[in-house]
Amino acid sequence: MLERVLGPRYARQFQRIVRKGKLTLLCLVLTVVVLRGNLGAGKFGTPEKDLDEIRETFSYIRRRAEPRRVLEEATTAVEQKSGGGTDNGGNSYAEFDITKVLKDEEDGVEEFKRDPSQPYALGPKISDWDQQRSEWLTNNPNYPNFITDKKPRVLLVTGSSPKPCENPVGDHYLLKSIKNKIDYCRLHSIDIFYNMALLDAEMAGFWAKLPLIRKLLLSHPEIEFLWWMDSDAMFTDMAFEVPWERYKDHNLVMHGWNEMIYDEKNWIGLNTGSFLLRNCQWSLDMLDTWAPMGPKVKIREEAGKLLTRELKGRPTFEADDQSAMVYILATQKEKWGDKVYLENHYYLHGYWGILVDKYEDMIESYHPGFGDHRWPLVTHFVGCKPCGKFGDYPVERCLKQMDRAFNFGDNQILQMYGFTHKSLGSRRVKRVRNETSNPLEVRDELGLLHPAFKAVKVEPSS
Amino acid sequence: MGLKRISSTAGALPTTTATAVRRRRHGGQKCGNLKLTILCGIITILVLRGTIGISLISFPSESTTIPRHVAEETDRIVAEIRSGENDDSESESVTLTNRTYTLGPKIIDWDSSRQKWLRQNRGFPNYVNGKPRILLVTGSQPGPCNNPIGDHYLLKSTKNKIDYCRMHNIEIVYNMANLDEELSGYWTKLPLIRKLMVSHPEAEWIWWMDSDAFFTDMLFEIPISKYEPYNMVVHGYPNLLFEEKSWIALNTGSFLLRNRQWSLDLLDSWAPMGPKGAVREEAGKILTANLKDRPSFEADDQSALIYLLVSRKDEWMDKVFLENSYYLHGYWVGLVDKYEEYLESSHPGLGDERWPFVTHFVGCKTCGGYGDYTMESCLKSMERAFNFADNQLLDIYGFRHKGLLSPGVKRIRSETTRPLERSLIRSNIVDVV
Repeated sequence: MLERVLGPRYARQFQRIVRKGKLTLLCLVLTVVVLRGNLGAGKFGTPEKDLDEIRETFSYIRRRAEPRRVLEEATTAVEQKSGGGTDNGGNSYAEFDITKVLKDEEDGVEEFKRDPSQPYALGPKISDWDQQRSEWLTNNPNYPNFITDKKPRVLLVTGSSPKPCENPVGDHYLLKSIKNKIDYCRLHSIDIFYNMALLDAEMAGFWAKLPLIRKLLLSHPEIEFLWWMDSDAMFTDMAFEVPWERYKDHNLVMHGWNEMIYDEKNWIGLNTGSFLLRNCQWSLDMLDTWAPMGPKVKIREEAGKLLTRELKGRPTFEADDQSAMVYILATQKEKWGDKVYLENHYYLHGYWGILVDKYEDMIESYHPGFGDHRWPLVTHFVGCKPCGKFGDYPVERCLKQMDRAFNFGDNQILQMYGFTHKSLGSRRVKRVRNETSNPLEVRDELGLLHPAFKAVKVEPSS
Repeated sequence: MGLKRISSTAGALPTTTATAVRRRRHGGQKCGNLKLTILCGIITILVLRGTIGISLISFPSESTTIPRHVAEETDRIVAEIRSGENDDSESESVTLTNRTYTLGPKIIDWDSSRQKWLRQNRGFPNYVNGKPRILLVTGSQPGPCNNPIGDHYLLKSTKNKIDYCRMHNIEIVYNMANLDEELSGYWTKLPLIRKLMVSHPEAEWIWWMDSDAFFTDMLFEIPISKYEPYNMVVHGYPNLLFEEKSWIALNTGSFLLRNRQWSLDLLDSWAPMGPKGAVREEAGKILTANLKDRPSFEADDQSALIYLLVSRKDEWMDKVFLENSYYLHGYWVGLVDKYEEYLESSHPGLGDERWPFVTHFVGCKTCGGYGDYTMESCLKSMERAFNFADNQLLDIYGFRHKGLLSPGVKRIRSETTRPLERSLIRSNIVDVV
C-alpha cells in the first residue's frame, strides 16, 4: 500500500526508517523505565510503589489480621477524644512515624567541634591520670573505688541507638536485654550506664564505645573497673561472680586465647563485646592507641584493608574495634601484653551458636555458678542484629534463641520469688513454691536473695 | 510485524534467485527481528530487576534495598512472636469462686520477724550511709507491644530510671512476669510489691513507678526523713479525696510503701476489688457510683485505694501522707509545654512546679490499646521529657541534645587534661555521709 503512495524505493526507505524508529522508541522506553526504577519520578512513583499498590489491592482481603491492623480497625470505630486533629489523626500509634517529628533545633548553646585539620584524638593527652585520680580518691572517702576489701567498684556500660529500631520487635529485645543486665547487676552490686548518645560522629558504629569509655573513666574516678557489654549480650549465669582477685595485676580482661592472638593473629582470637578495663593511665594510653583506626570514613576503610591483610580469617570490610585490638596486641606484645588478660576459663563472652541448644542439658546436669561451658556467664548474640532487619543469621533462629537465653537467665531470678517460666520458650510463668506465712524461713535454692558477694562491709558494732 | 511476514512466506519453496533475494531479505528481516527480540528481552530483565529484584543473570548485588522475601520472612516471624501465647490469657479460665481472694497466707508478725532478720544479717542493712534503702519497682508486659514504638519508649523510660537511680543509690527491679492471673493489668503491682517486701526485708521502702512515668528532675532527692511517721506516700490532695471523693484525688502511678506489717495489711485490704472477671466488674460499678467523675469501667487499683481510704479513713489515714509539695507524680499535660520555661527561669533540684520531679504520661498507652490523646502529642511529649531529663545527665559529661526533639547530641564543653577540677555532679546531690 505504501508502495503505491510513495513509490517502491521510498516505501522501502520509509519502512527502514520505521524499523529504526521502533528501535529508537524501544530504547527510549527502556531508558525511561530504568531511570524511573532507579531514581523515581516524583509523583509518578517508582516501580516498587506500583508493585506495592498491586499487592495491596490483591492481598488485603486475604492478609491475616496482624495486631496492628486490628488496632487500626478498632480505633476508627472509637470516637476521637481530646486532641488536635492533626494530619496523622487518630489515637492509633500504628501508622504514626515518630522519626518525622524528631529534628535538630538551634538552642543558642555553642557546639564545640574538633579541629578537622588535626589528626584524630579522643581528647587532649593526659599523662598523670593515676596521680589525679588517687588525689581525688583521697579527698573523697565517701566514694571509695573498692566497695569491700576484695570487690572493686564496677560500672557496666552498654547502649543502643536513640532512634527506634527498624525491626518492629528490635526495641522489645533491647528492653529484655537491659532488664537482664539490671537483674545481674543488682545482684552483684554493679552500676549500669545505658548510653544512647553518639558522642563523636567520626567514631560511629562499633567504635562509639571508645570516646564513651574514656569519658566515663575520667568523669568517675571512683570506678575501678569499667565493664563494656554489647546490647546483644545477655547474662545467663546470675550466680557467677567475676573473680576480681585474678585480675589484680591486669588492666584489660577480654575473652580470648593467647595462641590465637599472638601466634595466629586470628581476627576472632578475642572478643570486644564484653570486656573489663581498669580506670588507670595505662587504659587511657591503650584507648589512645586503639582509636586511630576508627575515624570515618577514609581512615577506617584503609585501616580495614590493612587488618584484612594482616589478620587471619578476616573478611574484607572497614576497620572494626575488635580486629584493631587483635592487631595492636599481636604487633605490640611487649608494650601491652603483660597487662592484658585473655580469659577463657569462663564465658566472659559466650558465642551463642554453640551454647543455646544446650540449655536443657545444662539444666539437667549442672547448676548456676560455673560461668563456663557448664553454665555460661554470658551468651552473646554476635551477628544477630535484632535492631536492624537482618544480620548474618536467620531472623527466626536469632529471636527465638534470644527468648530462650533470656528465660534461661530469668528463671534464676524468678526462682528467688518462687516462680519459673513454663518452658524456655514461654513468656508465661508458673509458681514453683507456695506462699507462706513465714517468708523469712524460706531460702531460695541458689541463695541469690542475699548472696555473700552482695553483703556490705559489716562495721564492728556494739 | 516482521514475524507475520516471515510466517506468510514460510510456505514458499526457494527455487529462484528472486526467492533467494527474498530469502536474504527475510534473513535480514529475521536479523532485525532477532535484534528487536533481544532488546525486548533485555528491557524485560532490567525492568523486572528494577521492580522485584529478580536477577536472571546474577549481578553483583550492591542494592541497599531489603530483598523482599527476607523482609516478608521477618514480618511473619515478628507477627508470630507478637501474637504467640497472648499473656492475659483466656486459656487459664478464671473460675468464679466464693472464696475471698487473698494475696497469700496471712502474715501477722512481720515487723518482729523482719527486725530479727535484720539483726542476724548485718551485711544487708535497711539503712545505708544514714539513708533508708529504697527499691524502685517498675515493669511492663512480657510480650512485644502492639505498637512497636511503645517498646522504644519503654526502653527510654527504663534508661531514664536507671540514670536517676544510679545517681541516688536506688536499686531497680524491672518486672516482666505475670505473677498472678487474677490480679492482672494495673493490679499486678499488688502481688509484686508484697512478694518483694517479704523477700527483701532489707528494703525499707518499696517505690512503685509506672513504666509511663519519667524522671524529669535528676537532682531532686526525695525528702525521705519527712516521712518518718508514715508508711505510705502518694501524690494527692486531701480536699479532692475527702471532700470531693474524686477518682483522681491521688495517683498510684508513683508511690512509696514502707516495709511494714501495716503495708502488708493495706495490700490485703486493697486487693479484694482486683480479681479479674465478675469481681472486678462489680467492684467497678461500686467505684463509679461512689467516686466523683469516675467513668464506667472495671475496678482499677487507684479508684480502689481512694475508696478504701475514704471509707476506712480512721483505720488507715494516720499513716498515709498525701504529698503535693512536689511532683512525686506529675500529670504530663500542662507540664511538657513548659520545659523551655523551666530551663529559662529555674534549675533542677526543686521537683515542683518550677522543675517537675516526675512527668507521668497518664492515658497515653503507647504500648498498646488506644489512649485518650493523639499519638503525636504523646510521643512528641515523651521524647521531650526524655531529652529534658537526659540533658541534665549529659551536662555532667559536657554534652547536650540538639534540641528537645533531637536524638542527636552536641558537645558543649571541650575536653580538658584536668577533668577532675570541674565540680562533678556529686557536689550537687545531697551528700551521702
